[in-house]
Amino acid sequence: MTKRLGIAIDQNRCIGCWTCSVACKSINNEPLGIHWNRVLTSKPNENAPTRDPSSRAIDVPSGEFPNLQLAFQPTSCQHCANAPCEKVCPVGATFRRDDGAILVDFERCIGCRYCIAACPYGARSFTWEKGQYAHEFQVGYGQDYRSGARLVFTPERPVGVAEKCTFCVERVDAGKEPMCVEACPAGARIFGDLEDPRSELSIAIQQQSGRQLLAELGTEPNVFYLPVARPNKMRP
Amino acid sequence: MKIERRTFLQGFVGGSVALGLGYSGLRFFEIAPASASATLKENLFRTGHNTNCDGACGHLVHVVGEKVTFIEGASWGPNIDGQHLQNFKSRICLRGLSQMQNTYSPDRIKYPYRRVGPRGSGKFERITWDEATTLIAENFNNIQTKHGKESVWIAPYTGALSLLEGVIGASFRFASVIGASAGDFEGDNEGDSAGPAAFNYVLYDPNAPSNAGGLLDGHEYTDLINAKVIFLWANNIAETSIPDWRTVCDARNNGAKVVSIDPRYTPTAAGADLWVPIRPGTDTALINGMMNWIIQNKRYNAAYLLRYSVAPFLVHPKTKKFLKPKDINQGGGDKYLVFDEHDRRVKVFDDPGLVKPALLGSYQAGPFVAATAMQILANTLSKFTPELTSKITDVSPEKVEQLARLYVENSPAAIKCGFGLSHWHRGDLTHQALLTMATLGGNIGIQGGGVTIMSGALLSTAFSGLPNFWNPDGKKWVPLQPMDACDAMLQGKPHPVRAAWFMIDNYAQQMSDRNKVLKALNSLDFLVVSDYVLSATAELADVVLPACTYLEKSDLLGSFNFYLQYMPKVIEPLWESKSDLDAFGMVAKKMGVGQYFQKTPDDYIKEILAIGDPKAPDSVRGLTWEKLTSGAFRLNLPAPYVPFADKKFATKSGRIEFYVESLIPYEQEICDYKEPVEASPNNPLYKKYPLVFLSTHTRFRTHSQYANLPWLKEINNGGEGFLEINPVDASSRALETGDVVRIFNDRGEMKVRARLTEAIKPGVVNCYQGGWVTKQVKHYIEGHPNNLTHQIANPAQSIVPNFPSNAAYYDCLVQVEKVKA
Repeated sequence: MTKRLGIAIDQNRCIGCWTCSVACKSINNEPLGIHWNRVLTSKPNENAPTRDPSSRAIDVPSGEFPNLQLAFQPTSCQHCANAPCEKVCPVGATFRRDDGAILVDFERCIGCRYCIAACPYGARSFTWEKGQYAHEFQVGYGQDYRSGARLVFTPERPVGVAEKCTFCVERVDAGKEPMCVEACPAGARIFGDLEDPRSELSIAIQQQSGRQLLAELGTEPNVFYLPVARPNKMRP
Repeated sequence: MKIERRTFLQGFVGGSVALGLGYSGLRFFEIAPASASATLKENLFRTGHNTNCDGACGHLVHVVGEKVTFIEGASWGPNIDGQHLQNFKSRICLRGLSQMQNTYSPDRIKYPYRRVGPRGSGKFERITWDEATTLIAENFNNIQTKHGKESVWIAPYTGALSLLEGVIGASFRFASVIGASAGDFEGDNEGDSAGPAAFNYVLYDPNAPSNAGGLLDGHEYTDLINAKVIFLWANNIAETSIPDWRTVCDARNNGAKVVSIDPRYTPTAAGADLWVPIRPGTDTALINGMMNWIIQNKRYNAAYLLRYSVAPFLVHPKTKKFLKPKDINQGGGDKYLVFDEHDRRVKVFDDPGLVKPALLGSYQAGPFVAATAMQILANTLSKFTPELTSKITDVSPEKVEQLARLYVENSPAAIKCGFGLSHWHRGDLTHQALLTMATLGGNIGIQGGGVTIMSGALLSTAFSGLPNFWNPDGKKWVPLQPMDACDAMLQGKPHPVRAAWFMIDNYAQQMSDRNKVLKALNSLDFLVVSDYVLSATAELADVVLPACTYLEKSDLLGSFNFYLQYMPKVIEPLWESKSDLDAFGMVAKKMGVGQYFQKTPDDYIKEILAIGDPKAPDSVRGLTWEKLTSGAFRLNLPAPYVPFADKKFATKSGRIEFYVESLIPYEQEICDYKEPVEASPNNPLYKKYPLVFLSTHTRFRTHSQYANLPWLKEINNGGEGFLEINPVDASSRALETGDVVRIFNDRGEMKVRARLTEAIKPGVVNCYQGGWVTKQVKHYIEGHPNNLTHQIANPAQSIVPNFPSNAAYYDCLVQVEKVKA
């Protein structure tokens, strides 16, 4: 049976530390100013506004002192089963693998940015000019990676292509977990096969009523969020 | 063919307006060349990150060619003896992941320099290592001849925690062999020593030789899984010890309740079941209120108190010391006395006929009416009714009772303190109170219980060769703490200091009362700074030495958890940087003591760990060099490690001494509440400076380290510091987010932009410490939080030789006003 790759992010555990984001940046050699994975600030169990700049004011809770609420929503490509980006791509550069990973073929992308407009999660980035990097040399995975014949990872993305989370397919294909999952110091990320009802991932989503971002749009993300549930919660 | 797009645009289109559609075909000229690194072999190294966040994470470092290209969390091994007792998860955070940026930072000091302009002018000329070390040796010799050996201060080392080059390391050996003064044992005395001091009031006798001047021990962090309630007391663990948060979550999933006591709504508070926004600095009163409720409602663990603490011991009503037979009869003994409720007689505590020692009450003992220590505690705390406690702490009376119940109705109960609790003038008193409460609950020496400041006790259990390393041929350094160093420089008290050598220590901005610090440093005849970046302290130096980062030298990380992490030299030192051990060797040779620095780092590590010595402690039994260098192995200890599990306490009585005889002169024998020294409404200054000023830690740096790394700055307001202020305090000052504010008191001022947030208690403001204030890099508009803090030391701590003085960074009042941008 075909696998369907998925991730569940446990918002009970997530403390908005940005480790997943920096791990992503490091393994994928993302230029300064670009984050394939960013941490938004939200109310518990509500979607963080992806385009509101205030959502980047981390640690700023909602409510009035001392009745406050704060949750963190790491947000990257949701690897939607019904992906708007894939549909609008005029040249078939954005494609879905059999395992559900949505990827960009960097040799086919023409930089039209329709996908960026189509993505409701703001998950895609675009480099208008040569990227500025923190290092003078390439860091991270460090090699081209092809899925089939298609160039789905290259350490320095060419100018004028859309780039985003690759589900770390180069790692997944080698039997490893995506870097954000492996690096999460809080153990807030579960990676696995959504088609396998016995996987830790499927069980967690099932038992904890995992939620999809903007599910009402019908995008059918393969990234789930385990809601904040605190049976012992007491008022301040 | 490759065309730079910028060139293309300038040549053919011009301006940024044209950055629209239609040029995307350009990318075909821009396909990146096949990665050169793909053909190079990748080597992996396991090392430990020795920074002073206390995380002691293991790093797996990827090296391609000569370059470090990726860092990830490393795995952990079993005990040295092969027993696999726990699953210790790989741990890393955003700071650790960014370390290659730190090593290759453009801020690195690349060469030795000599100052040529006035001090602080930033004018240096490059010199050779030979010239630099000659200058140091000559100046140290001259100054020692003129002002005494101890007038050279080998200063702290707070930025690194490794064995050879860190807070317990080779700097002490160097100071010993040249007879210099040195300071900051374990790096605690710049503001982290109040908590450790209290451990040595209550759980150790700091004057017993076996306690070596003062110890500190804590539960292994994995032990939090065994707690039924976790009090994160002033501990923003989710930002400062990020990987430890995993265990808090695991414990919460097991049903443990998590309480955060903090005036700020931190990510930790948001993740807790109960947040208690206390008035800062009044924690002792809250603990006392909780304890009073516990005592009044008889919810303490009487059996534990009787067996393991001084609770039943009678106290002399006049001297306040423990009553002894010799106080009653001439020639009487020196044993502690208790009252036996069975036959209503006073007996020595170990009398075989003792049936039922009284916990509470006052009893006739010879000519005296003597109360038990427990009764004195009860009397002292009886005023802390929920109402009074609430008045002092701003925590409601109901909440005081709820907290007391949470603590005693969930057993075991763990208390994990942040160093924020130590950043108070009377932080020692607060920890004394916590340890007293833990005794009432029977929580010390219990799995899932305890009071923990930090995990790790390697110093006492593994490093048997350390005393000889520090004091070769019996030579000893003269202790001088950071809190005393400014007076030594400015006034010659307790002895003159005319020269100093700092290593990875940014005293000029991280020590409290920065204006005083700058004055003191500028008064020195000679200042040496070894660092890997041009810090605010290095900028003032007469000689600057380029130090290595943790990736460029060999060392051992054996602190802050229970694993031994060998740190191999992953890459050759960049530019002309050298390890401090090499620098010591060069200077020592020129000062005539070169024989003490002739061995390799590996040889020193072997000696300190007593590798191959049949008399090595049990904790390292079976350790070989091959084993040490092949992974991270845990000491031969039960897991999770629980201090005092055997209920043996190295105090005078062998019991938990929540009644502290040696603090009688300071009227602190019992943890009665005292107001903060400055940040109190009772302080007349409060009218002028009505805001408590905190300068807390952020996840984006460790003190001042990593503050300028691009990956961390871009997710942290571009690196620019800001002032957190509650809208209530902002509106009375007509402030809005983004306004520039001046924060000031009588000691100094700083300027940053305001950020309005409900996440801070009204009456309290916060500016994250550790941003840089150098000529080239400024993370605040003007000044630094430490322009406002003070150096008022609490004399009570002086009874603990290793933790004698503490910088009370948070015990600080300020005013805030809007100024023009």
